[in-house]
Amino acid sequence: MTTAVSIPRTGGSGGHTAVAARARQVVKAYGSGETRVVALDHVDVDIARGQFTAIMGPSGSGKSTLMHCLAGLDTVTSGEIYIDETEITKLKDKKLTKLRRDRIGFIFQAFNLLPTLSAIENITLPMDIAGRKPDRAWLDRVVETVGLAGRLKHRPNQLSGGQQQRVAVARALAARPEIIFGDEPTGNLDSRAGAEVLGFLKRSVDELGQTIVMVTHDPVAASYANRVLYLADGRIVDEMYNPTADLVLERMKHFDARGRVS
Amino acid sequence: MTVLKTSMRNFVAHKGRMALSAIAVLLSVAFVCGTLVFTDTTNATFDKLFASTASDVTVSPKGVSDKDTRQGRIRSLPGAELAQLKRVDGVKSVTGDVTSQSVTAADRDDNSIGSDTGAPTIGTSWDPTEKRSVEITSGHAPRGPTEIMVDADTAKNKKLELGDEVRIIAIPGEFRAKIVGIATFQVTNPGATLIYMDTDTAQRKLLGAAGVYSSYSLTAQAGVSHDQLKKNVVADLGTGVKVQTKAESSKEAEDDIGSFLDVMKYAMLGFAGIAVLVGIFLIVNTFSMLVAQRTREIGLMRAIGSSRKQINRSVLIEALLLGVVGSILGVLGGVGLAVGLMKIMGSAGLHLSTDQLTVKPTTPIVGVGIGVVVTVIAAYIPARRAGKISPMAALRDAGTPADAKSGWIRGAIGTLLTAGGAASLVVAGNADKAVDGSMFLGLGVVLTLIGFIVIGPLLAGLVVRVLATVVLRIFGPVGRLAERNALRNPRRTGATGAALMIGLALVACLSVVGSSMVASATDELDKSVGADFIVQSDTGQPITKGIADAVHGAKGLKHVSEAKDIEGTKITLPDGKTVTKGLSAADPTYAEDLRTPVVEGDLAAAYGKDAMSVPEGFAKDHKVKRGDTLTVDFKEGRTAKLTVAAITSDDVSLDKGAMYLNIATVERYVPAKMIPADVMMLAQAKDGQEKQAYASLKAQLHHYPSVKVRDQTDYKQEVKDQVGQLLNLVYGLLALAIIVAVLGVVNTLALSVVERTREIGLMRAIGVSRRQMRRMIRLESVVIALFGALLGLGLGMGWGTTAQKLLALEGLKTLEIPWPTIITVFIGSAVVGLIAALVPAFRAARMNVLNAIATE
Repeated sequence: MTTAVSIPRTGGSGGHTAVAARARQVVKAYGSGETRVVALDHVDVDIARGQFTAIMGPSGSGKSTLMHCLAGLDTVTSGEIYIDETEITKLKDKKLTKLRRDRIGFIFQAFNLLPTLSAIENITLPMDIAGRKPDRAWLDRVVETVGLAGRLKHRPNQLSGGQQQRVAVARALAARPEIIFGDEPTGNLDSRAGAEVLGFLKRSVDELGQTIVMVTHDPVAASYANRVLYLADGRIVDEMYNPTADLVLERMKHFDARGRVS
Repeated sequence: MTVLKTSMRNFVAHKGRMALSAIAVLLSVAFVCGTLVFTDTTNATFDKLFASTASDVTVSPKGVSDKDTRQGRIRSLPGAELAQLKRVDGVKSVTGDVTSQSVTAADRDDNSIGSDTGAPTIGTSWDPTEKRSVEITSGHAPRGPTEIMVDADTAKNKKLELGDEVRIIAIPGEFRAKIVGIATFQVTNPGATLIYMDTDTAQRKLLGAAGVYSSYSLTAQAGVSHDQLKKNVVADLGTGVKVQTKAESSKEAEDDIGSFLDVMKYAMLGFAGIAVLVGIFLIVNTFSMLVAQRTREIGLMRAIGSSRKQINRSVLIEALLLGVVGSILGVLGGVGLAVGLMKIMGSAGLHLSTDQLTVKPTTPIVGVGIGVVVTVIAAYIPARRAGKISPMAALRDAGTPADAKSGWIRGAIGTLLTAGGAASLVVAGNADKAVDGSMFLGLGVVLTLIGFIVIGPLLAGLVVRVLATVVLRIFGPVGRLAERNALRNPRRTGATGAALMIGLALVACLSVVGSSMVASATDELDKSVGADFIVQSDTGQPITKGIADAVHGAKGLKHVSEAKDIEGTKITLPDGKTVTKGLSAADPTYAEDLRTPVVEGDLAAAYGKDAMSVPEGFAKDHKVKRGDTLTVDFKEGRTAKLTVAAITSDDVSLDKGAMYLNIATVERYVPAKMIPADVMMLAQAKDGQEKQAYASLKAQLHHYPSVKVRDQTDYKQEVKDQVGQLLNLVYGLLALAIIVAVLGVVNTLALSVVERTREIGLMRAIGVSRRQMRRMIRLESVVIALFGALLGLGLGMGWGTTAQKLLALEGLKTLEIPWPTIITVFIGSAVVGLIAALVPAFRAARMNVLNAIATE
């Protein structure tokens, strides 16, 4: 019960495989000897293309570490991670940076935006630094979708928390990355603003075909996903398709209880 | 107590962030203390030297002055008093000494064996019975007219050995002698070259007569005080001679050298002061940034009940700690600096011994005092700002709040100051009198400087935007990020740039004045100097009769003009008033060599018998008209009645205010022995024979290393070189202030990188490469440096131009902006910006992305 490899390697969508990202026997350990702490313990996982995947688990379960490793922000101790067919665990910083810039989008919990840049400048930043021209029509559609049309010239400190997160979502979508990673993207928002942002994410998956992986500990947030992966003690212990908030909550209670007993 | 504890912990926790501020304090304090230790040590060395060479009571001729050396005048005592002095009450022994500084000694190849640093060559009598500061360490004492002894340092530096022949050029003439002995100083000799000979030789060869002395040295009998002995001598000899006790004569010698050392000391302290000023900006920035970064923490402390005062005090205590640590290290560094300076001076010929290293107790007190006071003052504003942080800050999201807007009050005050300063500069530039003008110049400099510092943050916004459109746009989005970063905190950018501005403004100002000096001198030479050749001594040695004869003996010359300064002449005017002025005595051809325009009369007539010229201003002030007769009382001769035959223009820069008369006129009233040697000789070549004449002059003067002949081209080059050397020295001293300013840029960047850790992490996460990150920080640094350079160079050129306009009254008539220097400095600033960014950029690029993002 430690694997979530359950999707066929190739699917219908174009030349790409149906798996946007996958991890094979990934171990992430800190320290050595007696102080060795294993954050990820031989994890295998496939992230389906065009799907909204949520990673859940109690604090310290390794869910954030998994996401960071999948996104090429963190190095693994052993094992392999692929984005599409590229093994990123072998890449040097230069290539990895380029990969993040061109093929991955990020939404962090807070502090997503550069305070010196306006909303629109923040949105196009990854493309600017890559020296690419944004696709005008797509950009307009993204901006339209996240509902920021009137605020593009504003600096982050002139925007509310929800608006800032929407700008972050727009930035992640604008470059049409193969995969977007969200690290508790709604963790700092009230439920209404959170629902708004999650709604966008879901719509971008449903309507724009975007692949999204999101770490969260909020069952309601997880209920927006197509699939929920449960992590505990650095292992994937369960998964659920088409979750609802209640089901997720129920499952979480179960793990929490088990965690306390063991 | 808790306040102190928090301060201590903060200080230790942020010691990395304090490091550059501490270095700034250290450097400034080290420079101050180094200067003090060095000058105190030099003074102590000279004190000891003079004390060891002065005898209990010295008798010397009246009216001896430093100018005697240059003017080649011999003052001596007839020698008759020697026997008389022996009988004076309280005298144990008397010796007659012969000493002359109008001496040049040359080796076999006609090179001077004197010091290269301007220390004197002293020819003196050797009397074995006398108390001496030297001991013979090889060979024997000189005997007879062909033997001399030299000091060991000179022998070593100039590679002289026993048996070498030396040619000695003194006022009465030149002679050759063999080195038979080498004497070593028992105290530190800072650099003078000593040539000993027996008394009879010294008398005849240096003073030109047998049996005469330069001075008498008296030793007191036991129990007789120096003062008492002096009284007895004065009672016996009368007041025709100068009688000094040991204390008096050493003090006189010390005062001579001391005034020179004081000039050096205050000049160096001035430069240290500039560095201190620049350091203040660095410290202000450091504390502002620390306070900004700690906003939440301070908010929390306020929330749990710390008073404003406590917060305020805790920041100031941190500053105090910084000041103390920096200053103590600075004092130690200062002593090291002084030792280093002594080593450098040693290789340049000024020998100082570390045995005499003098650290007065006031030195560390002054050093630590300056360091601590400056640091605490600099931290005061940030501390006050810290005290004003509201408890609410604890609750707000992290991230440094943008600095309060610079505000229109700042703009208004800054503009007002700058405008006032500019107005003063305009007034100074148009002043009629140099004295009034220089006051306005000083005021203008200070006001514009402060004005620029005050509006610096506002200018930063403007200048950075302009620079960004010109330079940064090439670098695309990275350039834009750098621009935004430089603009995000204008106060910080302003202060960092202002620190650089100060040093560079001085560089620009001085370079404008320096190149204007060269240009003015060149123009003036072209315009009014008709002479082809100029003969002068660079070392202050007289142009002796022998040298003058050598010049006259050169081939291909149309004429040679000699020029002498006749000093201390009392002139009684038609209205009965008396003024004391120097006269310029010259040959009539001098008027062709230096064309001085006249407003009335004919300059040639002024060189006639019993005639003279006066300058326009003098004539106006004293209502002297052409044809008036002035009573001229020559100090060293009789009184003459001279007719004013010409009135010269004051609109000149060479010989301004000179009163000309013929040397022949002077010779009628002043005894030949008292007529000073030439200060300068000018010569014109016969038409078409310039080259041959120059070669001939050089050949003729080859034997006389104390004088140089230059044609106009070489003379211009010499002026240029001298100004260049002086400027380089000043630039070298300003380098300290500039280094501190560059540290300031490093400091600002380093702290900004720390402050923007999360941003950097975010940027790296979304795909900004390490190289782009480094470039972004480098560009920000370059922009800050160029901002400082632009302000500094602009300000400095304004000051320099005003100074030139003002000094035009004193002959600095031609303004020349040294564009190559200015452009070099500007480009150099960009390079310095790049260098300053090296470490911060490296650190930013190396930052771990995840840790950076996770930073609070």
